[in-house]
Amino acid sequence: MFSNFDIGVIASSLPYLFGQGMVFTVTLTALAATMGVAFGTLIAMMRLSGIPGVTHLAKGYVELMRSLPLVLVIFWFYFLVPYIGAWLTRSPTPIQVGAFSSALITFTLFEAAFFSEIMRAGIQSIPKGQTAAAQALGMTYWQSMATVILPQAFRNMMPLLLTQTIVLFQDTSLVYVLSLTDFLGAASKVAQRDGRLVEMYLFAAVVYFAVCFTASFLVRRLHSRVAIIR
Amino acid sequence: MTSTPMPAPGGTEPVAAAAEAPGDEGLQKGPLVTPPPATATGVPMIAIDGISKWYGSFQVLTNCTTQVEKGEVVVVCGPSGSGKSTLIKCVNALEPFQTGQITVDGTKVKDKGTNLPKLRSRVGMVFQHFELFPHLSIIANLTLAQRKVLGRGADDAGKRGRDLLARVGLSAHADKFPGQLSGGQQQRVAIARALAMNPVVMLFDEPTSALDPEMVGEVLDVMVELARDGMTMMVVTHEMGFARKVADRVIFMDKGEIVEDAKKDDFFGKPRSERAQHFLSKILQH
Ligand SMILES: Nc1ncnc2c1ncn2[C@@H]1O[C@H](COP(=O)(O)OP(=O)(O)OP(=O)(O)O)[C@@H](O)[C@H]1O
Ligand SMILES: [Mg+2]
Repeated sequence: MFSNFDIGVIASSLPYLFGQGMVFTVTLTALAATMGVAFGTLIAMMRLSGIPGVTHLAKGYVELMRSLPLVLVIFWFYFLVPYIGAWLTRSPTPIQVGAFSSALITFTLFEAAFFSEIMRAGIQSIPKGQTAAAQALGMTYWQSMATVILPQAFRNMMPLLLTQTIVLFQDTSLVYVLSLTDFLGAASKVAQRDGRLVEMYLFAAVVYFAVCFTASFLVRRLHSRVAIIR
Repeated sequence: MTSTPMPAPGGTEPVAAAAEAPGDEGLQKGPLVTPPPATATGVPMIAIDGISKWYGSFQVLTNCTTQVEKGEVVVVCGPSGSGKSTLIKCVNALEPFQTGQITVDGTKVKDKGTNLPKLRSRVGMVFQHFELFPHLSIIANLTLAQRKVLGRGADDAGKRGRDLLARVGLSAHADKFPGQLSGGQQQRVAIARALAMNPVVMLFDEPTSALDPEMVGEVLDVMVELARDGMTMMVVTHEMGFARKVADRVIFMDKGEIVEDAKKDDFFGKPRSERAQHFLSKILQH
């Protein structure tokens, strides 16, 4: 099996693997993480708002997303979004969203549930006195959130947010179900075309490991740097 | 530092050799605020009128009534859990109360039409644990609310911030972060931060009780000066030395009630409730 291991097939497909596959993977990860953190923060604030209906809505959303397999959500979204879009815009025909947009929306909504739990812990970790001090200075809820609470929560939670983003980086490989070509998809295509499954899948594994291991290492380094001195 | 007076550079005046951290200029001379008359004026600044408050079925405050006049310094004391913090937090509506009313400078605290953030921006508050914003530099701590709440420009806010920082003797620390300052220095910054909003009244909730003993003095000095400049102050504290020095009145609370509300001299003199006597004898022991 390893006797005719062909390193050449890897070398010759590098431009395709990275120039297209990895660029797609990183783009999707970065966009979904940014939007997911923003939406997740909103959900966390809703959950902590203390307004009964709003709290339950946020809680229900998080529970729902956490109880469904990601692949299923990706599928559902891909097939449902055109119809929901049509219904919202009262269009007689399904709205074409495109596989990439559909994947981006799905990952954003799905990851937001996880990011929201991290941000909820982050917001709760800020002492009550900080909110009181901001309020006592005359700040409104939104002002104190934006300038006092969230900046501290983000800083404290940065390592966890980044760790979750590393998970997201791996999860994006599921876009193969929508026939999108991410890094793993690109490796897979080459593997099928040239009949070089061992080489390509081994190489893909090495790359995922190297990226995630390095990222985790950097996150740990960062952790000791950004911690706020109290 | 040595304990022998050293000649000041270029002058003959001796420099007080205070045991202070490098760069800590100590308290500077000059008023912290533009002074109104430095005595009680008879004009009510805070009117607390029969307020009661419950946490569930537990009653924290029972029918509390008192006033703080413009320019007056009122010290609130009492045993732990007697409701002092709760009472003072009701004044700027950090805590809601169920019955009664509080009026601050003519504005009702418990009223649908009251803009609470606006009311709070005129009431300075200093907390036991300082509550500086640890992610912001000292100068940013001083300017944040001036800019966001009062809408002052960066230059105006910065100037006001630096002026107040100089007044509390901490100019050299403007660009540091709260975590790099001692407790006493942080509390002085917290006082400056509250003053930066040009409050009409200042509330203090045990401002020195989280400090190491050697830092209590520097914070009390700032508060004494503030009182002498005519600031209206309501101060929860057990520092009876401070009360004797600058208080006009002392309020003693126990189990959610105002048990004693007397002129300073009367309070520290003979006639008063047994509970207050007992409390005083305990805290004056050390
Ligand atoms: N959020 C709360 N829920 C329930 N009970 C509370 C709450 N906050 C305070 N209490 C209770 O209310 C009472 C008064 O509390 P408060 O903090 O006003 O007392 P205090 O006089 O400031 O005491 P200390 O000297 O310890 O600061 C205490 O018995 C306290 O346990
Ligand atoms: Mg208290």
